[in-house]
Formats: sequence, structure tokens, C-alpha cells
Amino acid sequence: MAKILKASTGLTGLAVATNPHHTLSALYGKILSAVSKMPQESSYRKNTELLVKQRADAVAKNKDIGVLEKSIGCGQVEELIVQAENELTLARKMLGWKPWEKLVQAAPAKQWDWPPAQILEPKV
Amino acid sequence: MAGREAVKRAVQQVRPILSVDRDEARKRALNLYKAWYRQIPYIVMDYDIPMSVEQCRDKLREEFVKNRSVTDIRVIDMLVIKGQMELKESVEIWKQKGHIMRYWKESQEPKPTDFLSKFIQGVN
Amino acid sequence: MAALIRSLGARIASAALTAKHVVPAGTAALRLSSTAAVDAKAPEKPTIRKPDAAARTSLSDFGRYVAECMPKYVQKVQLTSGDELEILIAPEGIVPVLQFLKDHHQAQFTNLVDIAGMDVPCRQHRFEVIYNLLSLRFNARIRVKTYTDELTPLDSACEVHKAANWYEREIWDMYGVFFANHPDLRRILTDYGFEGHPQRRDFPLSGYVELRYDDEKKRVVCEPLELAQEFRKFDLSAPWEQFPNFRNANPPAEVVEPAKK
Repeated sequence: MAKILKASTGLTGLAVATNPHHTLSALYGKILSAVSKMPQESSYRKNTELLVKQRADAVAKNKDIGVLEKSIGCGQVEELIVQAENELTLARKMLGWKPWEKLVQAAPAKQWDWPPAQILEPKV
Repeated sequence: MAGREAVKRAVQQVRPILSVDRDEARKRALNLYKAWYRQIPYIVMDYDIPMSVEQCRDKLREEFVKNRSVTDIRVIDMLVIKGQMELKESVEIWKQKGHIMRYWKESQEPKPTDFLSKFIQGVN
Repeated sequence: MAALIRSLGARIASAALTAKHVVPAGTAALRLSSTAAVDAKAPEKPTIRKPDAAARTSLSDFGRYVAECMPKYVQKVQLTSGDELEILIAPEGIVPVLQFLKDHHQAQFTNLVDIAGMDVPCRQHRFEVIYNLLSLRFNARIRVKTYTDELTPLDSACEVHKAANWYEREIWDMYGVFFANHPDLRRILTDYGFEGHPQRRDFPLSGYVELRYDDEKKRVVCEPLELAQEFRKFDLSAPWEQFPNFRNANPPAEVVEPAKK
């Protein structure tokens, strides 16, 4: 077990993680398995897989927590855990939403025109 | 114009607010009426208004009959939602006496119609 | 006019300095450097904020990224005022897009700054609802816009951002946009018994009713508003241009095109 680096994270409500390497690798594995159910060409899947694999590699490579935090560069390990948890819930919700499908509804004509003084046609 | 509007309505696929068909909307309106009907004695008691329960129920009926010509399900739903909110405001005593008495419009004088009363009031 | 005077003044000052070489070297260098700075600024319009070029590229890249990840909901991505990213989405996509922006590793827009409404009566869907988000992690802001009309409910963002609760109540109260699945949708700004939604463009500026204390009834009574003055049309256009500096300002919005495959 890695030795505990610090007494506090300095962030309210965020306790120091006792075994961050284990937690992080488990979470990253879960994200990858959730993402793998998406279609291959989905951009969200590609980007998330790329990023999560990078982070998982960094976790596997760096045993020291300080070096790990520096190599990822996105806050303390506890914050990394929170981010991974968020990504996991998001990935699972994405499976239901299927955002890689084609546009659900095109914008009505002139909906996003600005300024509105140039919209001349009256509402039918 | 009206026909065109009707055709557009029929073609347009709209998202329902609460009810999916007329029966459901009617049921909601009736439920709201019943809820008001049952709460009126308590409202009269709590707010100590100078009206009898019968007068209040007449007013309730009048307010509902005012909208009897509404046929659009979504408009009915919206009116029911607003009525529900008003009922809650009344029952929880968030309103005050003046707000309840506003339904009777006591201090409003009816608009003059014939020439002489118009002349006396100084409006033309 | 003021800008003209200022630029003239700067030119005169620099001319005077270049003409005189007798002043001690140290002060001359100092003053020269300060006038040089003024000179560099002179042709620009000092009242217009210049968009940050670095922020522009990173924001447009991020806009493309969002559009690529959620093609089902994103209709258009644009930059306004030079460097403010706007994502224009279909009303079905409010919860997915906000959730994506909140939870995705690359976004982390965890802070909902505000929800605003807008009413443009000439449009088919007259209301716009605008979500302003802030990412503390990446020090970036983003705006998500969607549209609706008087009777189409929008999905509530409360399950994504707790802060959305009161903001959505404000929108409901001011514009009458109904939010489905809101935990506690009721009025927040107007008085009990108030009728209408005051921020709609067709709501009169003076309102429909007026309140006064009635001494006989010993309570506040409500009466329809009657204005003593007849309606008057004020001609407020001036013969001169008020903001000439904005004549060639940034375009209101620049579309961020999706990346070519």
C-alpha cells in the first residue's frame, strides 16, 4: 500500500484517498468497458478511450503519487478520482442517450439569426 | 388563415406537457376543480375573508367556466398547472387576504357604457 | 471626436519629442518609450475590447470537439464578441449536453453561472433559454443555447446542476417556459396572484394592474391600470451616429465550421 502523502487535500469535502492507484485503475477499467459498448466510429468513444488509456498508463507507470499527479497534470489524485467517477456515470448515461446518432431535429429556419430586426417574415 | 393554422397543428409533432389525450386533460381539470372545492372551507376559515363558502364555490365555478372554450390539450394542461400552483399558494397561506379577495374585483367599477355615465365619469 | 483629438494630441507630442534632442538622454528615452506606446495604440479603437487570439483558437477547437462528440444534439457552434463560445442545441439535448459538459474529462464545466431567457416574438420558437457555464479547471466559459415556444416544455437541468432550480423558476416566472421534471416549479419573483409573464415582449411596460391601500377595506386592493396620458410614439432616432467606433466592430457571431474529415 502506498504511503499516505498528506494530511488533507485542502479541498472541502474531499478526503485523502488511501489507495488511489487501485481506485483509479478500477475506475478507468470500468469506463473503458462502458465505452466499448458504443459504436466503433463514435467520436465520444474514441476521444474518451484515448484519454482514459493515457491516464491508465500513467497510473500503471508511476508508483509515486506526486509524480503521477504531475504527469497527468489535472489536479490531485483525489480530484482525478472524482473526475473518473463523473466520466463513468456520464459514459453509462451516454449509452442510453446515443449522442452519436444523426441530428435529432434541425433548427427551424432563421431560428439562430441575429439581430432579429433582419428577420422579416411574420410568424404564420 | 384558421384552416392553415389547423393543418400546421395537425402536421406538427408536438411534445405534450402532461396529458396525451383529451380525456386525460379533462380528468386533470376535474381533479383540480375537486381539490379547490374541498379546500375552499379551509381557505375561508384561514384567511378570514368576508365571503361565504357558497360564494367562493360560485367564484370557483365561474373561473373554470371562463375557460370552457379551450380545446388545445396543452393549453388546458398549462391552465391546470397554473391553477395547481395557485391552489398551493392559497392552501399554504403564502398569499394574504388581499390576494384572495382579488378574485372578486370588488373595488373595480364597471366600465361606463351609456353616454350619461361616461360623461359623469369624465371618460369618452 | 474625442478619439480624433486624442490621436492628434499624441501625434503632436511625438513630433515635439523627435524635434528636440537637447533633453537629457535618460528622460528622453523614458518619455520616448511612453509616447511610443501611445503611438502604437493610436490607430486602434481604444473602447473596443480586443478578442484574445489564443482563447479564440482553443475555444473554437473545443466547440468542434463538442459538436463531434454529440452530433445528435448540436445544431451550430459559433463565437460571439470575438472569443465567447456558444453551442446552439436542439431542445431535446439539454440534459445530455449539460451532463457531457459537466462530467467529461476534457470539459469539466461544473459551475452553472446563470440561466437566461430571451424572447424574440417574430421567430417560430419565440423563446431562447441560455445556460452560462464555467469550468474552474480550465478557466473557460461556455454558453449553451436552446429554444422553445409558449407551450413546449423543456427538460429541467436540475438533475445535472443543483443551481438550475431557482434559475428555472425565474425563467418560468418571467417568460412562462415550462420545465418538465422540475422538483419545485412555482413563482419566485412576482407577487402571488400576479397574472402574466413580465419579460415577454408583449407584456406592457406599465403592467395590467395597479395596487393601492384601501382605507375602508383596510387592505391592499388591485385595480386595472389606467394611464392618464394617451399613447404617444416617441421618435428617438438621432441625426448623427452615436457609436461610430462600433461601425466596423466584430460581427455578432462567427460560425465555427465542423472539422473536415
